[in-house]
Amino acid sequence: MYDLELLENTDVVNELLARYGVKFGIYKNNVFKEQLFPFDAIPRIIEKREFDELEKGLKQRVLALNLFLKDIYDGKKIVKDKVIPEDFIFASGGYMAECEGVKPPRGIYSHISGIDLVQGKDGSWYVLEDNLRVPSGASYPMIARELCRRSSPKTFQHVKMEDNRNYAKLLRRTMDYVNVEGHTVILTPGRYNAAYFEHSYLAEKTGAHLVNGSELVVEDDKLYYINYNGSRERVGAVYRRISDEFLDPMNFNPESLIGIPHIYDVFRKGNVALLNAPGNGVADDKGIYYFVPKMVKYYLGEEPILHNAPTYLPFYEEDMRYVLEHFDSLVLKDVAEAGGYGVVFGSGMSRKEKEDFIELLKREPRRFIAQEVIDFQDIDIVEKGGVVPRKADLRAFVLMADEPLVWKSGLTRFSRNPDSFIVNSSQGGGFKDTWVLYQ
Amino acid sequence: MKTLYFDYDMQIRYAEPVGRCHFTIRCVPPRTSRQCPEEFRIEIEPAVHSEQGEDSFGNRLLFGRVDEPHRLFSLHAEGRVSAGMAEYEEAEREERTGMYRYPYRLTVPGDKLKAYFRQIETKCGRDARQRGIVLMNRLYQDFSYEKNVTGVGTSAEEAFGGGRGVCQDYAHIMIALCRMAGIPARYVTGMLVGEGSSHAWVEVLSVGKWYGLDPTNNLIVGEEHIKIGTGRDASDCPINRGLLFGGGEQVQIVSVKVRQEKET
Repeated sequence: MYDLELLENTDVVNELLARYGVKFGIYKNNVFKEQLFPFDAIPRIIEKREFDELEKGLKQRVLALNLFLKDIYDGKKIVKDKVIPEDFIFASGGYMAECEGVKPPRGIYSHISGIDLVQGKDGSWYVLEDNLRVPSGASYPMIARELCRRSSPKTFQHVKMEDNRNYAKLLRRTMDYVNVEGHTVILTPGRYNAAYFEHSYLAEKTGAHLVNGSELVVEDDKLYYINYNGSRERVGAVYRRISDEFLDPMNFNPESLIGIPHIYDVFRKGNVALLNAPGNGVADDKGIYYFVPKMVKYYLGEEPILHNAPTYLPFYEEDMRYVLEHFDSLVLKDVAEAGGYGVVFGSGMSRKEKEDFIELLKREPRRFIAQEVIDFQDIDIVEKGGVVPRKADLRAFVLMADEPLVWKSGLTRFSRNPDSFIVNSSQGGGFKDTWVLYQ
Repeated sequence: MKTLYFDYDMQIRYAEPVGRCHFTIRCVPPRTSRQCPEEFRIEIEPAVHSEQGEDSFGNRLLFGRVDEPHRLFSLHAEGRVSAGMAEYEEAEREERTGMYRYPYRLTVPGDKLKAYFRQIETKCGRDARQRGIVLMNRLYQDFSYEKNVTGVGTSAEEAFGGGRGVCQDYAHIMIALCRMAGIPARYVTGMLVGEGSSHAWVEVLSVGKWYGLDPTNNLIVGEEHIKIGTGRDASDCPINRGLLFGGGEQVQIVSVKVRQEKET
């Protein structure tokens, strides 16, 4: 389908990506290290019919997740109706009591959602994880596509694929929809942040101001951007690329130097939109994941189109029994961890490790989920001049404006290590472009 | 019921000038079924415009920024409150009360508190309020009041380990014990007749109503307490939270007077 020149130009594209600063930061043994995010030119190709189905499922899932967040911070009907035990709300590290009763503009919580999916050998897709806080990665396939179009124009003349450069338009529409009044800005922790490339790239493509915390100020109960000449201009929407904790030293972590004092007070009064809204962590931790299909039924009255990986909650006695009986065939995940950390395979443990783990599991059942190991479809990557199969996932981006918008592309990540099922970039993998065909 | 007059004064002096500061003040007594503020005045120095707001715990906020260099930040509030109009406060927004049933920051129990709880755990009492009173009685006997051995950031576990502390520590330990017993409990800042500084106690949720228990004095909260703020622990409802640029060393003096009769 694609021309050989696409693969031949991989090195050139990677050199350009390095020059643009397309990097990822990871913590290893408590040391922060930045590394390049290697691009593999063989694209993941998704047929139109297949993507149409995914799109429906993604819209449905993100709608339900938004309704869930709105419900949790204002009413908790789903808890009252006993669909979700309150333990999974109040004991979740992502639940923020400070968000109770606070109404984000237009009632949207997760404006930009990154839904991680994998495709099984039988072709069916499974959601592995929802990322509703500050999901990153859209800029990588955007710029890779841009560079590949330039280096290998022929391929892009004849393959009937959706143009993924419209992400900026979708994002702009999403930001404008919730903008209360004034400018739209992208708030970055600064150029030393590992995702700084993405922040600057998205600002450039959407036409939003790229700002750091010291350029924003709260005056009375509104937010202003301090212009280069010292004048102040009202800000109505902030696409913030810093976590809740560091957003506002007067309301959250007092040590934060990258936040804006009182920005949360402005948000609480409805005078600025924050994308994504604070408090979303309660909807995307690994414990609540189990309940997402139930949310779809509860809020939308529909059957969920997308499936979760088969998941067990040791919190429920019945599930605990299953987990103990099938321990060796399951993968266990610590709900408090992210980025591929805190994931262990039952089959990979020594007898002693297993005994210790089961003891921990019995002591803190709410802390873990167990999942069947999905037999992923492998995807080809180029290695040492040849082609080898590797595990890969897909991060699909769903934006919530006046309606949910699914970006017809996505970030495909693969694991470098042939035996690894973990594709997180924090574990040293690479990425691919994702082509969605339009016919 | 009693009519109480209060006078709250806080002064912070800095060794070096503070170039800029942000502040959030939570010192407005709320109107509840138990108490009714009849008069309230507040003065902040340096004189600046402040905004009003309300947080998710129901606390009234005054927040703002001081841009001019200053060596003194002061807060003076006074007013009149009808206190003890009822024995309890009606629980509003009950779906949120789950936040007071789980450990949070300074109230997370460690091994010592867990062991202590097992030792004093009680089946006595027909409701959460009565069980709370039993826990308060035990804590009052087993913990001693002493100033300057704990600080604002001391956790319940640390304070309990040391065996001594102030009202904040009593309240945190009591909250940790109640939550282990499955009783929703929340932290309260306020003022008490005869106390020279601000006070802290606990409210427990029992059959849809919040009851005040003051473990520092082994008292059921009545008509001599004025409630100011509420939270999961002290960090949710400090009377003053500031962010300073400059200032060097600082000395904070708080003086509180609560009386039944107005001085003439």
